[in-house]
Amino acid sequence: MIEVNKLRKEFTLSKTQRKELNTTDRTALAVDDVSFVCEPGRIFSILGPNGAGKTTTMRMLSTIFKPTSGTIKIAGIDVSEHPQEARKKIGFLTGSTGLYARLTPNELIQYFADLYSIPKDVCLERREKLYTLLDMHEFQSKRIGKLSTGMKQKVSICRTMIHDPEVVVFDEPTSGLDVITAENIIQLIRDCKSEGKTVIFSSHIMSEVDLLCDDIAIIHKGKLLHNGTMNDFRANMQAPNLTAEFIRIVNATKLEKV
Amino acid sequence: MIFTIFKKELKDTLRDRRTLIMMLVIPVAIFPIILSLFVTVSESFSKEAAEKTIQIGVVGSEDNYIIKQLRLLPQELGKKNITVYKDTVELKAAIKIDSAQIGIFPSADFAMSMEIKKPAAVTVFFNATDLGMKERAEAYLGTIESIAKQERYIDLKINAEEIKPLEISYSNVASSKEMIGKLAGGFLPYIFIAFGFIGCMYPAIDLFTGEKERGTIETLLTTPVARWQILFGKMGVVVLSGLLAATFALLGLFLSIEVLDLVQDPEILEVIHGILSPKFILMLFGLLFPLTVFFAGMMIPIAVYAKSFKEAQSIITPMNIIVVLPAMVGFFPGIELNVVTACIPIVNIVLATKELIAGTLDAGLLGLSFAVMVSLAVLAVFISYKRFDKETNVVI
Repeated sequence: MIEVNKLRKEFTLSKTQRKELNTTDRTALAVDDVSFVCEPGRIFSILGPNGAGKTTTMRMLSTIFKPTSGTIKIAGIDVSEHPQEARKKIGFLTGSTGLYARLTPNELIQYFADLYSIPKDVCLERREKLYTLLDMHEFQSKRIGKLSTGMKQKVSICRTMIHDPEVVVFDEPTSGLDVITAENIIQLIRDCKSEGKTVIFSSHIMSEVDLLCDDIAIIHKGKLLHNGTMNDFRANMQAPNLTAEFIRIVNATKLEKV
Repeated sequence: MIFTIFKKELKDTLRDRRTLIMMLVIPVAIFPIILSLFVTVSESFSKEAAEKTIQIGVVGSEDNYIIKQLRLLPQELGKKNITVYKDTVELKAAIKIDSAQIGIFPSADFAMSMEIKKPAAVTVFFNATDLGMKERAEAYLGTIESIAKQERYIDLKINAEEIKPLEISYSNVASSKEMIGKLAGGFLPYIFIAFGFIGCMYPAIDLFTGEKERGTIETLLTTPVARWQILFGKMGVVVLSGLLAATFALLGLFLSIEVLDLVQDPEILEVIHGILSPKFILMLFGLLFPLTVFFAGMMIPIAVYAKSFKEAQSIITPMNIIVVLPAMVGFFPGIELNVVTACIPIVNIVLATKELIAGTLDAGLLGLSFAVMVSLAVLAVFISYKRFDKETNVVI
């Protein structure tokens, strides 16, 4: 389970950043008072336009960033107090995740298994299961740099799942991927749900959200505009489809400001 | 965990062609290439210079004492042709257009001065850009002067021994080891410093900026490993790469000395072989280890801060000059290791190594140099830790 309470993230702006953003403010608020709960066995989606604060939220969930204030609990563990314990429970995958090109899939998976202190026999057993599931045996000993995008994505999935995490964080996981590779990710998200894992993923692709989600949150300029189940969201839609409703909600906040 | 990261980063680094070239190929190959080039070129130049027939222009007539003596000089002093010019204007013009390489102008009263046994003035013209010509002129005229002196001794019935009151001999009490250490010992730490720096550079950029650029750092930061452990694991590889590059450079130097057979003097060879003793190598590495940690600690904050490989490279590369300049202090004889120089980083390592080779190292000053470098290394590691811990520096 993920419990997020009054989460806030403020960044200090450098001189260059202030110039680029055309502001005199010394700080920028990326996430402002965001609260939500993601239940095990359900898929929670965070939607938002570019720069809404989705990635910052995901990075705080996966302990890459520390919250300025507020709390995050992963499987009951406070990430600010016990980040290392929390990390054992998290699997993190993004569309832009890089892999060590000079290692082979076998070496990479073993490296991450070692970092998670997984015993060798357990690692081999899990790896074999994942290789079979993802059809990876053929390229397990080739250098990652020489693999296709699809193969690399399979290695990424394997790396994310090797420690059998309770919570899986997907930050725009299909961004920039071809249809077949994206399908692998979609299948992984479904599998995670059926295994009772807590799944959170951020996206701006409405069809994916429509297809997968049980719960939905819309975030814009760091603020949470909507948080509820997908069924409730569909039932209360004022626009004809999901994309139009999303645009309507985001634009409504702009009009409110005007 | 530190060792797990270290192991993986080392494997990754050793598979990077660019790092391997900078860490292994260049350091090993550079000295054999430079030294063999130097030996071949200098040998061919000195051979060519010795065999070259030079044109000597002399102002005066054929019966001039200088011309007569020049014609009698043996070929061993260098082959020559003599041309007579009517004045110095013509002679200087000939040297300018290289139709003569040496010009000799005996003064108007030259013959008279020789006659009455007074010093006879001779002016030598040469082009300083034509290397070796002054030395040739000195050899010719020096021999002619000796002949003239002998002639005067005979004429004046003087015993040369009687007008030489002192027989001075100079005896050097410094051993060859000390001489090499003090005069040429600066070269060894210079190599180590220069290559240690270059060796650290690529892994530092690749393991920090590169990882950020490739997007792999995010996955590492989500594992249950503390940031300081990640930093130390990576830093270990940067330090090791620096030490390896320096070691390979030294290996290349020793190999080229042995293979090219450049050193003939057995005493000097003994000193060089002495440098290869386990005790000396251990002491040298003891001094250079904190220096390499200091280099790594200097580079890592920059590599962490930089957003691209290019940006990191453009900041770190000019630092090479800042490091190499103090390392050149070792080339100047007379600058010694004392309380002040022991407190100047890099300079202290260079001077301490020189003293170490010479066998004159003071334990107190060695301790002070070591303490200064360790303190700086600790400070650099602390700055690296602070930089690496700053989340916006680590993730793009």
